[in-house]
Amino acid sequence: MSGLTIRRLDPFRIEIARTPPMRTTGLVYANRAIERTLEQENALQQVANVAALPGIVGPSMAMPDIHWGYGFPIGGVAAFSRDDGVISPGGVGYDINCGVCCMLTGMRVGDVTPRLDRLLASLYNNVPAGVGSSNKSLAVSGREFEQVLELGARWAVKKGYAPPGDLDAHEDAGCIAGADPDAVSAKAIERGQPQLGTLGSGNHFLELDVVDLVADAETARGFGLFEGQVVVLVHTGSRGLGHQVCDDHVHGMVSAASRHGIALPDRQLACAPVTSVEGREYFGAMAAAANFAFANRELIVFLIRKTFEEVFGGSFERLGMRMLFDCCHNIAKMERIEWGGRRIDACVHRKGATRALPPGDSRLPERFRRTGQPVLVPGDMGRMSFILAGASGARETFYSACHGAGRLLSRHEAKKRAKGRKIIDELRSRGIHAMAASRATLAEEIPDAYKDVSDVVDTMTGAGIATAVARLRPFAMVKG
Amino acid sequence: MPYTLVDHTADIGMRVSAPTVEELFVEAAHALCDIMGGLTDHGEDAVTVRAAGIDHDELLVRWLHEVLFLVEVKGFRVSGITLQDLTDTGVTGMLAGSFSGAPLLAEVKAVTYHNLEIARIDNACVATIILDM
Repeated sequence: MSGLTIRRLDPFRIEIARTPPMRTTGLVYANRAIERTLEQENALQQVANVAALPGIVGPSMAMPDIHWGYGFPIGGVAAFSRDDGVISPGGVGYDINCGVCCMLTGMRVGDVTPRLDRLLASLYNNVPAGVGSSNKSLAVSGREFEQVLELGARWAVKKGYAPPGDLDAHEDAGCIAGADPDAVSAKAIERGQPQLGTLGSGNHFLELDVVDLVADAETARGFGLFEGQVVVLVHTGSRGLGHQVCDDHVHGMVSAASRHGIALPDRQLACAPVTSVEGREYFGAMAAAANFAFANRELIVFLIRKTFEEVFGGSFERLGMRMLFDCCHNIAKMERIEWGGRRIDACVHRKGATRALPPGDSRLPERFRRTGQPVLVPGDMGRMSFILAGASGARETFYSACHGAGRLLSRHEAKKRAKGRKIIDELRSRGIHAMAASRATLAEEIPDAYKDVSDVVDTMTGAGIATAVARLRPFAMVKG
Repeated sequence: MPYTLVDHTADIGMRVSAPTVEELFVEAAHALCDIMGGLTDHGEDAVTVRAAGIDHDELLVRWLHEVLFLVEVKGFRVSGITLQDLTDTGVTGMLAGSFSGAPLLAEVKAVTYHNLEIARIDNACVATIILDM
């Protein structure tokens, strides 16, 4: 943090003062506990680096799950004017539209536990997970694959993998407008095409949770949540397709930034004007990759619904399995924001952050107009997760909130701490059944590797960005 | 092996050291393959890898990306790496090995440019490269 001037504004906000080459201030949402986790990090410097990019509107922000990323910090939110600002592939990240969806069930935990071992084993067998996982049974190619890139979750509905009712439970109805499959390279298609309908590895997961606390009964009712209910969380993204799209365009923008006279504090922040050829091409490719991710999560949800039908009998509709919400964590979107008393058309980058629209927002589907948008906050695999609702205070974050607990330990350090421990047995002693494609992944993802998600949520709710609706406790999971 | 893992909260860093910049390119590719689990003891195939960039820093990232793609997507497992040509704007190398498609240990999403700089320290070329995992 050397060279940065930092001051606490209130119990939930820290400001990084504007010093050259910053064009604006930094604003980090952090209570005291979160602030302590930043002491050994380079994340605040990364917030300051983003503040140096051209056309930034408002502060360079970070949500309380902030941690050291590459280029942008994880948890970063930054808006750039569509007229004279930039778009940056590094501001979205390699896993484009990595995101999370929450599916409700009509089942109580007591309905599931008698068949839990069979259910978990079936989910593990039916949902491809792990390093290099592919899904031949759901493979599509040619024009059909282009439609995946153009239509996202709408493709899954069109092909009968998902009911039409799932669509209004997606951010942007499961399809980012402006996708350009022609801007997706052959390498990206080769890398990602076989991976449609796969979970992947790393921090991606499929998790069964029980709603163990309802904090806001009225909003919970509006969301369809009740205590004791089983819900399913799925966390994955655009797989190799997104990785390659980002890589292709970071490469192109390293030289584009120089051509456009943009000084980069870190080459990973490579960017180009939103209106430039490079900027438009990246946006088209990124939207296509985001749509791949929406379709990918819908296909995984399809496999989960089929598995529940096999194990419990009856249709998924009869089992009460309906989507609560599906949202993006890594995305750049064209949004109209309010800043300095003006409405500005901006390209809002969220890297490890999620959208959070408040009650009454016209962009919400009718079902969430009264409640606000569900904000899904997965914690680590041993403690808890939360469902929040967007609140009016989210105007100051350009309607953004945290996306999870945020890592505390490096993967290397987590593995060292997990050495000699039986993580599966530790989880089982907490009543959590886990299956993992890789023991190494499980070691990297130990609960100690993450911040306490309660601190993250307390900061968001304390700052008025979101309100707490329900707390979830994991009881079964598949890790990649 | 002349690389060490460097702590990075979200991902993995590898610090690679070699007497010359040419050897640094070879050792970095070897380190990447080792982290991915993409090394093998033998192989009858050989693949030429080329990359272009504006300077050695960018060339290193592009070269490693080509190796990553070959290992992850093409299923190539690497038994040997030689550098044939390195200029200010281009690199060509040869990877020996086989297209066995043997399972990998780790999924590396990308080789990043984050804070990358090839430095000369105590007569050695040194680079710390952050991999997105």
